[in-house]
Amino acid sequence: MLYLYLGIILFLLVLIVWNMMTEKNLMVQIDAALVIVPLVLRLLLIK
Amino acid sequence: MKKPLLSAAVLLLAAALCIVSLASDFRSMQEREPIYPGPGVTSVRMLSDWFPGIHGTPGDTEVYILEGKKPGSSMLVLGGTHANEPSGVLAATLLVENAQPEEGTLYVITHTNQTGFTCTDPQEAAPMRFMIDTPAGPRWFRYGSRASNPIYQWPDPEIYVHASSGQQLSGSETRNLNRAYPGRPDGTLTEKIAYAITELIRTEKIAVEVDLHEASPEYPTINAIVAHENAMGLASDSLINMQLEGMEISLEPSPKNLHGLSHREIGDFTDAYALLMETSNPAQGRLRGRTDEHLVVTGQDKFYLKAFGYGRLYVPYDENGHPISQRVARHVTGIAAFANSYTEMNLGGERGGINLGTLPGYEELESDIGPYLCPKA
Repeated sequence: MLYLYLGIILFLLVLIVWNMMTEKNLMVQIDAALVIVPLVLRLLLIK
Repeated sequence: MKKPLLSAAVLLLAAALCIVSLASDFRSMQEREPIYPGPGVTSVRMLSDWFPGIHGTPGDTEVYILEGKKPGSSMLVLGGTHANEPSGVLAATLLVENAQPEEGTLYVITHTNQTGFTCTDPQEAAPMRFMIDTPAGPRWFRYGSRASNPIYQWPDPEIYVHASSGQQLSGSETRNLNRAYPGRPDGTLTEKIAYAITELIRTEKIAVEVDLHEASPEYPTINAIVAHENAMGLASDSLINMQLEGMEISLEPSPKNLHGLSHREIGDFTDAYALLMETSNPAQGRLRGRTDEHLVVTGQDKFYLKAFGYGRLYVPYDENGHPISQRVARHVTGIAAFANSYTEMNLGGERGGINLGTLPGYEELESDIGPYLCPKA
């Protein structure tokens, strides 16, 4: 179950970073950067 | 580089810097505060010695054993079942560093749910650590989470089903050690820790088990002993002695239909007298203001003062707050009273009693716990 959830996080992260690269609206890019932080911390099992 | 790509790269770099900084902060909670075993400690074992299923996991924890000069019955003290209830940790630490039992054996676990000390509760804005002033300078302790760290037990189910009773609770309670007793050898990490403690109690024939807790001042079961029905006689006798020492305390029966708690399941599944103590910790309450180290240590909060004025609290509250020295004094006095009553009532029979030796009294501890938590060289 844990690895399934980590897989979901990784999938989400790839989508968010991809969106960030293609997004032209700076505010949406900032939102994406904020969302990345907790997702990476959980993916690395730090928080 | 195109403008969106450039801004994305800058933001990714900023996110990476945040991640590195936060990771270092969060990982710092993995460092365990030093405990200095006193002259009464005869051996230190790991909880996994009683259940190898937790060996090498973040749930394994030290068990301090203090064998008395004379054989007798055994007592187990659990501090840190909930890592955001610090007086239990301090009282257990104080026993490890100061108690010298005369009769019987004292087992102490200072950090019963070790993983709870490696994180704080989300959205509580609680400090990660607090300091206790001692004659040798300030000494740090971690202020953790009520539940096991989710990085070791994730995801939570929608509904937590307590294994042996079928009781259903909110999913996050699956990481609450005091809803996991008697535990399961093949369950979650939290259930395995509970199982290891139950195994310790069975194997070592623990006669008295005391689980140290705190709760918010607006919670009705506060400054209280909660006792399994088998332990009511022992708790009643101890309560009278505590009140004679000047400590106001009440006695609550363990509810028969509330499962997973130590005072219910250890009483049902082992031969031990199962007891739990609650003191008042304003840092846990819903009515509190700023949550910082000062609140954890002094228990002083202007909103609780107002709440008391409006009659919303179950315990007296004034501008002096509920200092941690008073809360630790309550726990230590309670433990000594349980041991004395157990011996006076001859509950151990041929096995003998429990004499924890000379421990500092209630008033002495209430005035300052620092001298009893002094770091050793």
